Amino acid sequence: MSAVLEEILSGGVRLAAPLLLASAGELVSERAGVLNLSVEGMMLTGAFAGAAGAMVTGSAVAGVACALVAGLLVALIQAILSVTLRADQIVTGITANALALGATTYGARLLFTDGSSLEGFAALPIPVLSEIPLIGPALFEQTALGYLAFAVAAALAFGLSRRFTWGLAIDAVGEDTLTADRCGLPVRLIRYAAVLLTGATAGLAGADLALAEVHAFSDNITGGVGYLAVVAVIAGRWRAWPTVLACLFFGVAQALQFAAPAVGLHVPAPLLVTIPYVIALLAVSGLVGRSRAPSGLTVPFARTA
Amino acid sequence: MIAAVRHPVFVGAVAAIVAACAGLLLAAGAGTSPAVAVDALVEGMTGTPYAIGSSLNTAAVLALIAAGFTVAYRAGLVNVGGEGQLCVGGVTGAAAGLALPQGVPGWIGVPVVLIAGFAGGAAWASIAGLLKAKRGTSEVITTLLLNFVGAGVLALAVHEEALLRQPVTSAETLPQSAPLPPGARLPLIGSIESPATLIVVLAVAAALIVALVLRHTPTGLRLTAVGHSPAASARLGLGVARLEVGGLAVAGGLAGAAGACLVATAPYVLAEHFSSGYGFTGLVVGLLARGSLTAVLAIALLFGLLTNGGINLQLAAGVPAASVQVVQSLLVLLIAASMIWTRKGAR
Repeated sequence: MSAVLEEILSGGVRLAAPLLLASAGELVSERAGVLNLSVEGMMLTGAFAGAAGAMVTGSAVAGVACALVAGLLVALIQAILSVTLRADQIVTGITANALALGATTYGARLLFTDGSSLEGFAALPIPVLSEIPLIGPALFEQTALGYLAFAVAAALAFGLSRRFTWGLAIDAVGEDTLTADRCGLPVRLIRYAAVLLTGATAGLAGADLALAEVHAFSDNITGGVGYLAVVAVIAGRWRAWPTVLACLFFGVAQALQFAAPAVGLHVPAPLLVTIPYVIALLAVSGLVGRSRAPSGLTVPFARTA
Repeated sequence: MIAAVRHPVFVGAVAAIVAACAGLLLAAGAGTSPAVAVDALVEGMTGTPYAIGSSLNTAAVLALIAAGFTVAYRAGLVNVGGEGQLCVGGVTGAAAGLALPQGVPGWIGVPVVLIAGFAGGAAWASIAGLLKAKRGTSEVITTLLLNFVGAGVLALAVHEEALLRQPVTSAETLPQSAPLPPGARLPLIGSIESPATLIVVLAVAAALIVALVLRHTPTGLRLTAVGHSPAASARLGLGVARLEVGGLAVAGGLAGAAGACLVATAPYVLAEHFSSGYGFTGLVVGLLARGSLTAVLAIALLFGLLTNGGINLQLAAGVPAASVQVVQSLLVLLIAASMIWTRKGAR
C-alpha cells in the first residue's frame, strides 16, 4: 500500500511541476489584471521550441533556452494585443492558443518526422533526503527542471507578495488601472512585465513537459495543462500559497488516474479529470471560503476613459 | 477617406489578405505551389455539393452558438461556456433520442432531440447565471470552468455503459453511444448529394428571431438596459437577476441545441470530441460580430468555409490542415487587434 502511495505522491509532484511553473507566472499576470488564457499556447510553443532546440543543438540546456525565448515571444504578442491595442483578452487568449496549436502541429510535421527520442533531463536524486519514506522520492528525486519549478514558484510567491512594493504595485494595477495611473504607477509597463513573466515561466513549463517528462514532442502535448494552470490560480483564489497547494493537489488527482487501476479501484477517469474544475468552481463562487477576483481583471487600461 | 479606411469591412478585408498570404507561405513551406493549394482550398469550400453542404453545416453550428452569445452579450454577460453547453446539450439530446422507440416518426423525434439539447445547454448555463445573480461571481470565470466540467460529463456519458455507451461486445467497441433512431435524425435539405441538414434553416431562423427580439420587443429593451447598467435597471424595477439568468440560459440553450444537432447529424452517435472545439470558435464568432446578427451569419459562414476548405487542403494538396488553423487564428488576431481603430471610427 505504501508503495502505491509513494507512487501516487511522486507522480503527483512530477505532474505538478509544469503546472506550478505556469501558474506562478499566471498568478502575477492575473493579479495585474490580464487574464492570460494564452498560457496554454505559451506552454505549447515552449514545448515545441524546447524540443526543436534540443534536437538541433543536441543539448537539453539549449532547448530550455529556446523554450524560454518562445514563451516570451507568444507573451509579447499577447501583451501587445491586450495592453497596447486593448483587444479583448478572452478572444486573443483563446485564439493565440489556436495559433500555437496550429503552428506547432504544422512545424512538427516538417521537423519531427522520424519520431526519435531527444536529449532530455534525467532525475537527480538528492543523496540522503530521497531515502525518506513516502515523501522522499516525491520531493527529492526530480529533474533539474523540476527543482527549478519549485524554486521559481517559491521565489515568485515570496518576492512578489504584498510585503514588497512590487507586489503592491501589481495588485494596484489589477484592481483599478485609473487610480494606479493617478498614483504614478507605470500601468502599461507593469502589465507588460507581468505578461512577459508568464511567458517565461510558461515556456519553462513547456520545456519541462517535452524534455523532462517524455523527451519528445507530440501534437498538442500540453493538452489543456495551460488552462489547468489558469484554473489553479482561480482555485487558489488569486493568492500564492493556495495556488501552489492547488497545483500539487491537481497533480495528485492526475496521478491517481494512472494509479487507481493498479490498486484495483474503478474510478471513472473523467471524474478524476474533472475534480480540479469543480474545486475551482466551488472556490470562485465562494461556497468554500471567501474569494474575490482582481476587479480590473480583463479590463483594458486607457487613460482617457 | 479616413472613415472608409476605418470601416470594419475594409479592415476585415486587409486582415484576410494578410492572413491569406501567411497561408500561402505555409503551403509553400510544405512543398505545395500556391495554385495547387488555392485550388484545393476552394474545392473543399464550395467545389462540390458535398463541400457546400458540410461548410453550411459547420457554419450553422457556429451561428447558433454565436447568436446565443449575442443575447447574453446584450445583457452585459460574456458567455465563454459555449463549449461546455454544447457538450451537455449533445449528451441530453442523445439521451432523449436514444430513449425514443426505433420507429418514432420524424416530426416527433427531431423536436424531442432539439428541445432536450436546448434544455440541457440552458440548464448548464443557468448554473453560471444563478451564481452571477445570487453571489455576483464573474460569469467569465464560471462559464470557462463549466466548459471543462461539461467535457467531463460528456466523457463520462460515453465511457460508462450505465449511461450512454453502446453495449460493449468486444475490446474494439468504441467509447460512443449507439446510433440515434432514424426518426431522431435531422432531415437533409436541398440537393441529394449535399449533407446540409435542417440545422442550416434552424441557424438562420435563430439569428432572425434573436435579431427581432433584441431590436423590436420589450424584452430586448430590458436586456439592453441591464447590459448598460444593472444598477439603474434595478432602480427602474426590472428583474435584473431574472434577465441575467434568462439571457445566459438562452445562450446556453442555443449552444446546447447546436450540440444536439451535431449528434443528430451523420454518423448519428455521441462520441468524445464530437464538438471539435466549435464552442470556442462560436464564442470567437460572437465576439467578433459585436452584437450584429448579420455579422454573426457572415463570420460563421466564413469560418465554416475555411474549416472545410482546410480539411480538403490536407486531403488533396498534402498541406497540413493545421495551416488553416494558423490562417484562421491569424485572421481573428488581426481583426481583434484592429478593433481599436474601427471603434474610434464609429465614435
